[in-house]
Amino acid sequence: MKDSISKPIPRVDAPAKISGEAKYIGDIRFKNQLFAKTVRSSRAKAGIVSIVKPELPEGYFIVDKDDIPGINRMRTVVSDQPIFAEEEVNYIGQPILLVVGPEREMIYDIISKIKIKYRDETPIFNLDEAEEKGAVFTEYSYSKGKPEAAFQDGLKIIEDEYHTGLQEHVYLEPQGMAAEYRDNTMFIYGSMQCPFYAEGALKDVLGWGSDRIRVIQSITGGAFGGKEEFPSLTACQVAVASLKTGHPVMMIYDRDEDIICTTKRHPSIVCYKAGLDRKNQVIALAIDIKFDAGAYSGISPVVLQRGMFSATGVYNFPHLSVRGRNFMTNNVPSGAYRGFGAPQTIFSMEMLMHNLAIKLGIDPLDYKIRHLLERGEPTCTGGKIWDEVKLPEIIEKVTAMSDYRRKIQSNGKYKGVGVALFLHGCGFTGNGEQLIKGKIILKKNGGTVILKVSSVEMGQGAETCLRKIVAHTLLLPMEKVTCETIDTGLIPDSGPTVASRTTMIVGGLLRQASLELKDRWNESDNIEVSRVYRHPDYLRWDNDTFHGDAYPTYSWGANVAEVEIDPITCEIDVKKVSAVYDVGTPIDETTLTGQMQGGIVQGIGWATVEVMNPSKGKLKQHNLTDYKIPTSMDIPEIACEFIENPYEFGPFGAKCAGELPFVGAAPAIAAAVSNALSVPIKNIPITPEYLMELDKHED
Amino acid sequence: MVEGFRPADLREALEFRSQHPSIPIAGGTDLMVQKARGFALKPDFDKPLLFIGHLPDLQQIIVENRQVHIGAGVLLSDLIKSDKIPAVFKEAISLMASPPSRNIATIGGNICNASPAGDTLPYLYAVDAILVLKSSQAERKIPVGVFITNPGKTDLASDEILTEIIIPDKKFGVSYYRKVGTRKGMSLSKASFTGLADIENSNVTDIRIAFGSVAPTIVRSRKIEASIIRKPVSEIKTAVPEIVKKYAPLIRPIDDARSSAAYRKKVSLRLLEDFLRNLAS
Ligand SMILES: Cc1cc2nc3c(=O)[nH]c(=O)nc-3n(C[C@H](O)[C@H](O)[C@H](O)COP(=O)(O)OP(=O)(O)OC[C@H]3O[C@@H](n4cnc5c(N)ncnc54)[C@H](O)[C@@H]3O)c2cc1C
Repeated sequence: MKDSISKPIPRVDAPAKISGEAKYIGDIRFKNQLFAKTVRSSRAKAGIVSIVKPELPEGYFIVDKDDIPGINRMRTVVSDQPIFAEEEVNYIGQPILLVVGPEREMIYDIISKIKIKYRDETPIFNLDEAEEKGAVFTEYSYSKGKPEAAFQDGLKIIEDEYHTGLQEHVYLEPQGMAAEYRDNTMFIYGSMQCPFYAEGALKDVLGWGSDRIRVIQSITGGAFGGKEEFPSLTACQVAVASLKTGHPVMMIYDRDEDIICTTKRHPSIVCYKAGLDRKNQVIALAIDIKFDAGAYSGISPVVLQRGMFSATGVYNFPHLSVRGRNFMTNNVPSGAYRGFGAPQTIFSMEMLMHNLAIKLGIDPLDYKIRHLLERGEPTCTGGKIWDEVKLPEIIEKVTAMSDYRRKIQSNGKYKGVGVALFLHGCGFTGNGEQLIKGKIILKKNGGTVILKVSSVEMGQGAETCLRKIVAHTLLLPMEKVTCETIDTGLIPDSGPTVASRTTMIVGGLLRQASLELKDRWNESDNIEVSRVYRHPDYLRWDNDTFHGDAYPTYSWGANVAEVEIDPITCEIDVKKVSAVYDVGTPIDETTLTGQMQGGIVQGIGWATVEVMNPSKGKLKQHNLTDYKIPTSMDIPEIACEFIENPYEFGPFGAKCAGELPFVGAAPAIAAAVSNALSVPIKNIPITPEYLMELDKHED
Repeated sequence: MVEGFRPADLREALEFRSQHPSIPIAGGTDLMVQKARGFALKPDFDKPLLFIGHLPDLQQIIVENRQVHIGAGVLLSDLIKSDKIPAVFKEAISLMASPPSRNIATIGGNICNASPAGDTLPYLYAVDAILVLKSSQAERKIPVGVFITNPGKTDLASDEILTEIIIPDKKFGVSYYRKVGTRKGMSLSKASFTGLADIENSNVTDIRIAFGSVAPTIVRSRKIEASIIRKPVSEIKTAVPEIVKKYAPLIRPIDDARSSAAYRKKVSLRLLEDFLRNLAS
């Protein structure tokens, strides 16, 4: 195993970050740079009657909808959000205009003098209201088997409902973007995951071709989806500002501002109707998924799709109907966040199975095992599980590591253990990869190789892993393999850095190209090899009926969480999480373990302390004093193991890994809390306030 | 334009304070957060700052006549390290903020900030801490519970500095502290409970009970405490519901971004109950 690709190597991005040399967007200054600050809607839903602007001192500008040369919409899946508000505003925090100038003090002074008159309208603040009013952005459905007939067939029917809350990314650095218009070209610099998404949006807004646009990623910290589509908005805003002013324009959000106006994880409600046969097996299942998309549809349709296609988790139900709806509310728009809709539906599925088992007097794990998907069986969308499913091995390992079987028997009150089984569909949903057709280039230059991809390093270790794949194939030392700067003028579009697709899809292309380059190594000193993504031939997908293979393959996992509940305060102490994953082949065990630990911790946060409640469209927790994420003190012992199960089309057999660990933590913890207190848990976050109401204490 | 003054010693500081309206700043961990206006902007100070965090005069801990004199500028981390500070007080302090914040935040700052969630306060109320306030002309001593008047409000005069906190050099036979935050570190109290007692010959000879974060200021009732003193511990158990009932109206928490009034109240009374039951066993 010495030369195994999995053997850890030092992270290539670590020295600069540890020494402080790494320049994040907030560290960069341009000559003659201006600052920009956004003026935002203070209303959840209103018409804009008038905007009274003060006289501007010299060198100061107001930039708004009238300054946009092209289309005033942010390009994404549904391009419905204006770059700057027009006649109406639909959420608190919606951008209306920028004040731009050299001194931030003066900018604030100008902002204090801008008077906006609104005509308030009736807003919608939650899913119930939205459903009542029929405020639906998107509705999809699909089915498998004969659910209607099955429900008529004398099954025992159980209905249930699950809720999950908003979650803020709390990425490392707040959103930040700069634009510099020079040489007839718009240069954009910023913190982002998807430079070509920004480029696409800029083309619409500027009305220019990509030849006049360069998007350059500055060093970006862990972003978790929060810098997937949102930076397209700020990139367009600063670009328009730079065009108008003729100066470089820098816009950095304060953390509070960032929390108020940026995308979050979709709050969800998932309702089930389960039909059980005489052996208490779930034979038929109807799932109704509701996501709060917020004020604009944006990327939400695809988030909903992943939520729907993951809705049955690791189980096979013969008769299934799934309905999914994105609702429009006047909350801040929801967006991409690690797991992309799947964590909500899998949490709910796992808790449904857990709660059904308890109700039936069956051990939850045994009950889950009775329903497991196996190789060759149909997926929920009628595709096929093509590859080996190692769940039995995963379950055996995780139960042994955690001593689950003994603990579930012997734990006293206030001590709980819970298990979650889960999967994650690798790469883009449906025909996403075929649409994007990711492209990569490898260039041999003497004894070194440059790889050109648009997959970005954002703290997850992508650069290390991608270079490692190439270096390992070509038997070159890491230093001889470098990455081209993330600059849309210099790199091909290998797709966005999302959907856990970087290692498997982009890394897979690099692996193929490296093999070709290896064969041709002695041809010359300058060789360029490129690859464009091709979907494996055996996969089928119909995007109109949602039938077929929604994902090329799946990664799998199981978590066992152990908790103690304080009998007086109802505080949850997560003691240990044991985790086993099948992500194909680990490309670097240390980097991968880091991803797993981080995902678990983020999942713990979502399940417990991360409370975010909008009150009339305004977030009550809008800074890091009130919105809490786990600290190092809150991180439990995490035992993490991998089961190798190489995937034919992944580099060295690697599958997806980045989102998977997030998915399992919350249901495992919820199951453990349920076990500790002998109460069904149906909502997250599980707060002490909520538990206090459930806990029957003698007072 | 905000000016700042960094005095060489306490005398200079008091001199400056007598001559200028000013804002004393020690660690700045409350002030800089409260007055922050945003990235690259000057904080919102309307008066000159008087830096006092570096003054050695304010950084001593001295034991004298069975009293501990704590300089107002003593760092939270130094309190934790000191062998002159009672363990239960250290426990409360070690649950405040985070190690880096505790390396700059001071006890005087926590008191003068006068937040109902200030975590040094319940203990200081419980032991009847006396505060020493100095101006260039005079010195006065005042109980902490009189000094703090309302959330964020104190009796500090514009020419005064809090120089010293005096607590009894005494260890209670029973001490109990719980902080309820959202997470284990870097968390402001949703509620906190401090209970101290002495028991001699199976009788309660002294008892102090203080609640944090559940009313405009720290809650302590000498009257209820007096009703417990001299009770045999054997009677405490049966008296628990009655004592809890007496405290209930004093606990008047609010709903906010961190928790609910209902939870705060319930948890406070449960902690009280737990403390009393522990006394009895
Ligand atoms: C991340 C973070 C976490 C925190 N966690 C907690 C926590 O868990 N529990 C808690 O109670 N607090 C917490 N705090 C609040 C704060 O750290 C404490 O209240 C700290 O003790 C304040 O001390 P300081 O020296 O920084 O005060 P400063 O900010 O310097 O001053 C606070 C106030 O006191 C006045 N002042 C300071 N010293 C004197 C003096 N000698 N005489 C007269 N006036 C004076 C100042 O004018 C100001 O009004 C936290 C703060 C942060 C930023």
